[in-house]
Order: sequence, then C-alpha cells, then structure tokens
Amino acid sequence: MWEKRPVIFLVLATAAILVGTIVTMVLPFAWVNTDADRIEGVKPYTALQQEGRDVYIREGCNNCHSQTVRPLVSDVLRYGEYSKSGEFVYDRPFLWGSKRTGPDLARLGGKYPDEWHYKHMESPRSMVPKTNMPDYGWLADNQLDPHMIQRKMEVLDFPFTADEIKGLNGKNEMDAMVAYMQKLGSDIPWRQATETTIVGDLVNPYPNVDHATMEPWEEIYAANCAACHGEHLEGVIGPELVGEAYDEETLFTLIYTGIQDGGMPSFASLGTDKVWKLVNFIKYYNQGENH
Amino acid sequence: MDLASLIYLGVTFGLFVIFALIVIRTYSKKRKDTGEIAKFRMLDDD
Amino acid sequence: MEKVDYNYAIVRSFVTWSIIWGVVAVLVGVIVSLQMVDPDLNFPPYLTFGRLRPIHTNAGIYGWGVGSIFATFLFIVQRLCKVPLWSNGLAKFQLWFFNATIIASAVTLLLGYTTSKEYHEMEWPIDVMIVILWVAFAINIIMTILKRKDEQMYISLWYMMASLVGVAILFLVNSAAEPVSLFKSYSAYAGTNDANVHWWFGHNAVAMALTAPPLAMFYYFLPKSTGVPIYSHRLSIVAFWSLIFMYLWTGAHHLLWTPVPDWIQTLAMGFSVMLIAPSWGSVFNGYLSMNGQWHQMRENYLVKFLILGITFYGLQTLQGPMQAVRTFSAFIHYTDWVPAHIHMGTMGWVSMIAFGSIYYLTPRIYGKQLYSIPLANLHFWLILIGQLIWSISLWVAGVLQAGMWNAMNPDGSLTYTFMETMVEMYPYWWARAIGGVIYFIGVLVFIYNLVKTVGKGDEESSEQALAEGRA
Repeated sequence: MWEKRPVIFLVLATAAILVGTIVTMVLPFAWVNTDADRIEGVKPYTALQQEGRDVYIREGCNNCHSQTVRPLVSDVLRYGEYSKSGEFVYDRPFLWGSKRTGPDLARLGGKYPDEWHYKHMESPRSMVPKTNMPDYGWLADNQLDPHMIQRKMEVLDFPFTADEIKGLNGKNEMDAMVAYMQKLGSDIPWRQATETTIVGDLVNPYPNVDHATMEPWEEIYAANCAACHGEHLEGVIGPELVGEAYDEETLFTLIYTGIQDGGMPSFASLGTDKVWKLVNFIKYYNQGENH
Repeated sequence: MDLASLIYLGVTFGLFVIFALIVIRTYSKKRKDTGEIAKFRMLDDD
Repeated sequence: MEKVDYNYAIVRSFVTWSIIWGVVAVLVGVIVSLQMVDPDLNFPPYLTFGRLRPIHTNAGIYGWGVGSIFATFLFIVQRLCKVPLWSNGLAKFQLWFFNATIIASAVTLLLGYTTSKEYHEMEWPIDVMIVILWVAFAINIIMTILKRKDEQMYISLWYMMASLVGVAILFLVNSAAEPVSLFKSYSAYAGTNDANVHWWFGHNAVAMALTAPPLAMFYYFLPKSTGVPIYSHRLSIVAFWSLIFMYLWTGAHHLLWTPVPDWIQTLAMGFSVMLIAPSWGSVFNGYLSMNGQWHQMRENYLVKFLILGITFYGLQTLQGPMQAVRTFSAFIHYTDWVPAHIHMGTMGWVSMIAFGSIYYLTPRIYGKQLYSIPLANLHFWLILIGQLIWSISLWVAGVLQAGMWNAMNPDGSLTYTFMETMVEMYPYWWARAIGGVIYFIGVLVFIYNLVKTVGKGDEESSEQALAEGRA
C-alpha cells in the first residue's frame, strides 16, 4: 500500500502529524485568551510602552531574560506572584523566553525607581557588579519615530490619543524601554497583596557587635544596597543613610518590607538574618567608628 | 463516566488499535520478504 | 546496466555552501560564548549578544543543518530511486535562493529585524523566501520519487518525505503575522496562544528538521559505509510511524509550569516519555546492524562518525524526556543545563551524522580519494572532545545554579540572590568557550582535509573510490 505509493504515503504521514497538532495546538484556542482566563485590570500597552517592548525584541533581550514566574516556591519568593494566562493577552509576540542568564523580568514593574533603570541600562556593572549584561546607554541616542509608533498601535488595535503620539516627540528609545520595564507584571495588584506585615516583637539578634564581627557584613550591604545608597551610605538614587535616625525595629521593617510607592524594593528574600545584619551594619556605621 | 471521559478512552483505544494494526501488518508472515526487500536493494551497485 | 546521469554538481555545491555556513555558525557561537564571560566584547548596536545569538542558532539550523540536508537528500534521492533528479534547473535555483536567504537572514538579524521567536527570528519577507525555497526543494524530491525505478521505498525516503510535509506545516502556521512595515510584524497569536503555537513549532522543528533528516541520512549512509544492510527494515517502519505521530504532542514540555493549560503540559510530558520507544527503535536498529561488524569502528572512520552520532541521538532522546517531566523541569529549566542538552544534539548527533555523510559523499561526488584518513580521525576526536567539554561543563553549571536558586534558609527565605548564583557560572562559561574553540579547530581540520581532497590531481573513477570507502 503506502510502501509503494508516495502520494498515499504523503497523505497518511500528514494525517499522523495533524492528530497531535490539532489536539495540542489548535484546540487550546477554544479556551486560551477567552473570557475563561480574562483578568480585569490588564490593559494594552501605551504607545511608549509598546515601543519599549519593540526595542526589547529588537535587541534580543529575551535571549537572556525570561518573562514568566512559575508557581514554584523559589520562583515566587525570588520574583513575585506567579504569572497568569490573562496577563499576556496583549503580548504579540509572547516573550516568556527559555533561559535565565539574567533574572526573570515578569514582575519587574514597580520594583525599582525609573532612575535605577536608566543608570542600570547605561552601565549595568555600576548597579550590579560582576553582571555580564552589555551596556545599553546608546539607546538614549535614538529618537523615537511617532509616525511609525502610531502605525504600530493601529495594527495592534491598541487605544491611543493624538496627544499621546505627539508626546513621543523628543523622547528616545531609553525612555521607551524604561516605560516598558515599569509596566511589566504590574497590571494586577500583586505587590499590595503580598505586602509583608511583621507581627510580634522584633529582637535584634546581634546587639552591641564589635567591628570584627561586623566587617564581613559589609559585603551584604555592597551587594544589595550600595548601588542606590552609595558605597559609603552617602546616597545616590536612594537617600543618604548617614545620620539615619530610625530605631533598629523601624529600619528592619523598612528593609524587610520595602517602601511600595517610594521605589525601595522589599528585601524579605534575603531572610531575617541578613536583614538584621544590614540593620546593625547601618547603625554601626552611623556611630562614626568606621573605615 | 461522563462524555468527555468516554471520548478520551475511545480515542486512546482507537489510537492503540491503529498502532496494533500497523505492527501486525508490518510483521505479518506473508510480508516478511517484501517488508525487508528494500534494505537489500539499497545496497545494490547503483 | 545502463549508466544513470546523476546530478552530482548540485550535491557538490550544497556540500560546499553548507560547510561555509557551518563555519559561520560555529565561529559566531565561539564569539557569543566569549561575550557571556566578558561583556566588553559586545559592540553595539550590531555586535551584541542579543543580536548575534540568533545568527548563531539560525546559521546552525538553516545554514549548516538544512544546507547539509539539501546536499545529502539530493544525493540519496537519486541513488535510491535510481533516476536522475527531476529538475536540474530547479535544483540550481534552490542553491542560489538558499544562499540568498541565508545572507538576507544574517544581514537583517544583525540590523535588529527580528520576531524574537526562537529558531524563527527572521521577519516575514524572509519567511516568504524560506517557503519558496522549501517548496522548490520538496517538488524536486517528490517528483524524483514519483518517477523512481525501484518500487519499494527504502526507509530513508520515508523520513525525507515526512520532513518535507512536517516542516511546511510547522513553518507556515508559526509564520502567521501582521506586517507593520517591510521589516516589522506582530505575531498573529497573542500571549499564551502564541507561546503554545511557537513551541509546537520549536520542538517539532527539531523533529522534522533535526531528527527525521539525520535519521534518513543515518539509515542510508550506515549500510552504505559498512556494506551490510540495516538490521530490520520493518522495525524502522514501526518506529517511523510512532515517531512522527508522537512528536507533535510534545511541544508544551518547553512550557511546563507556565500559564499554558495544565492538560496540554501533561499530554506533552506523557508523549515525551513515550517517544523514547521510537527513538531507541532507530538506535537499536543501528546497533544491531553492527552485529559482527563492530571491528569496523576501528577500521572505518565513516562508521565511527555515524555510530557515535546515533549514540548521541540515543542519549539525547533519554535526557530530553527526563527534562520533559514536571519535577525535573522545575529544577533544571532556565539554567545552563538546557543549552548543554541542545548542543549534545546539534554538535553530537546532527553534526556527527552530517560530517560522516559528507565524508562518504566526497570521494563519490569528486571521484577522488579522501586526502587523509588520519586527519579525519583527528577531526573526529577534536569535535568529540570539544562537544563533551561543552556539554559536561554546562550540565554541572546547570545543576549548581538550579541548586542555588532553590536553596532556602531555615526561616524560609532564599539563601542566594540571583547575582550570587550567576557569578558562579563564569568558570563553567569559560570551559564552554574552550570546548567551542576545540570544536571549531576540529571543523577547520575537516575543511582542510576536504580542500586538499578536491585539489588533488590524481583522478580516479568513483567505482574505485566506492570500493575503497568500504574497506
């Protein structure tokens, strides 16, 4: 039968290929991106955000960064609330990626202030020492093309206003990229929902430590705080920490929970021990007996 | 059992039957020679 | 027996061009591996990791992989059907259109025109070129098969035809997009649907472009090299139908734990494990064909390439299903383990088979003996060692990073920040770069050997070459 008749063989082979195709690739369209997984609050990209997304695509950022948080303990602790299908209905194409050479970006929006992103894109190693991310400061040299962006918004059928398009004049690709970064994963109010409330008494496990004990803790500060608060606590993007008047409980709470609207990320993922070490390091530094 | 389970079972069983038929047909005694002839023919000087 | 006027000129051209694009793929691979360890090696805007990595993958898959498929299929189809190619003109068009497509791909990717979809990054005008190219190829192969002299179709032809149909369906569906301009388009699908369609394509491109064709080559070149037939043609048939049926269900194993519906993930997981059977059907068929012939592993360098190739296929098709299981995927996905897996497939399985096939072809299409068998052996060891260093170092790196990502303190917080895990990768990334350089040197030895062969003055008949190739 088919061993001798190429045409019949081709038909049968095509049929064999189509069975799995129909079940796992065609059928899902009946459920995915329908009312079944729609999420209220998920909005299309603005013109500026969409252009940032297109720059992200053009530069191949997806080769090193994924954009989907899995419902796994370590993923959720590290990045935030796990990703839901309804959050991606405006993503053409999807950008979930397949490799985390750098961290996942699905929940990046709102984590850092804009200024952090500008500095980080300009010179990644100034904010994250030892990272292998290339510099993208040159994006700031490229002015946006409002006409082209309007055309893109029309093809995507996303809402936009004439003022919004006019407002793109004078903006550059870096502005667009940062706007996109800040939108990522922020359509659902997960940050508010996962805000940590500390209950019970806070007891400093390292009261009255000496300088020798303290010294190795500087590394924790250098790795997590120095980029924004300065190597010597002098303040850069974030405020100066010298002369800091908070008591240790307040300081612990600020570091542990972050300041949602103030651009200070939560450092709960470091664990209580490291946060206490940071508290003591900052307090000690303030007493003047330093470096 | 609901309809979905029955369809699921039916499709699985159907696929298994197709597979079994292919194996039985391929390995049937009367096709022993024709089934293997190609592997000798391909070695012929060409 | 009348002499058939086979078209070898086109085979020679495709061998040459596939090797040229293969060198580009490996060279760019070495460059991006160095960019991973030293970010100062990025030269924006064109020569950054984000733009070069797709050039590496696409040059590898479409330039070297598909190029060598064109070369070998155009040879095999004539010999198995015992008739010349249906259309020499169409084949010639295919050759130059192939090169035009690859060049256009490389240039546009450097310029940043990309869809971002892995292994399908080229924008829509190039997708159109690829479709034309594939149709030209498919027509020529199918028409040649239709006018064949030998009625029974050998298994290699089966895999070839399945590949022709499979690639066409996958590529057309995944290409669907709305153009904005000549070099920018938006996928026709959104979010989770786009992801599901894309990895249905992505995984089955591996099936239809990087599994079925090398199997077609293996089933043809192994018996031709050893002089004994494959163990069982009927086993290859059962494995064939199972393979092409089951592969299509497995795409979502690239999307485990993502928002893709759970039942699709579960099906993908189940079918991935079942795929071990047809994959190993071919592996066993290869091994059992060597019954009483294992001494040829010592004496016949062609056999060495082909049997090591099928061995890596066997390992690849055990490791793959393992990764497709939810629990293991949760641990290992997104780490450097994954590129190590891919490179065992590409550098080990596909390239070993392609190198072996080209060594078999060279004396026959040029009518000259290979310049140096010791150099071919050197090539073999260099690419084997290079690939093993590449893969093993990144498997270790992947397990290390996965372990660090999951490590927790007694209070339930994470032990390591992301950067603490990333800096641990640098030594392994260096090892990978060294493995890549060794592999690259191996490829240069291969090319030197072929250039010397072609440049040799002493002409001899292809019959003589054939006889010696078997010895």
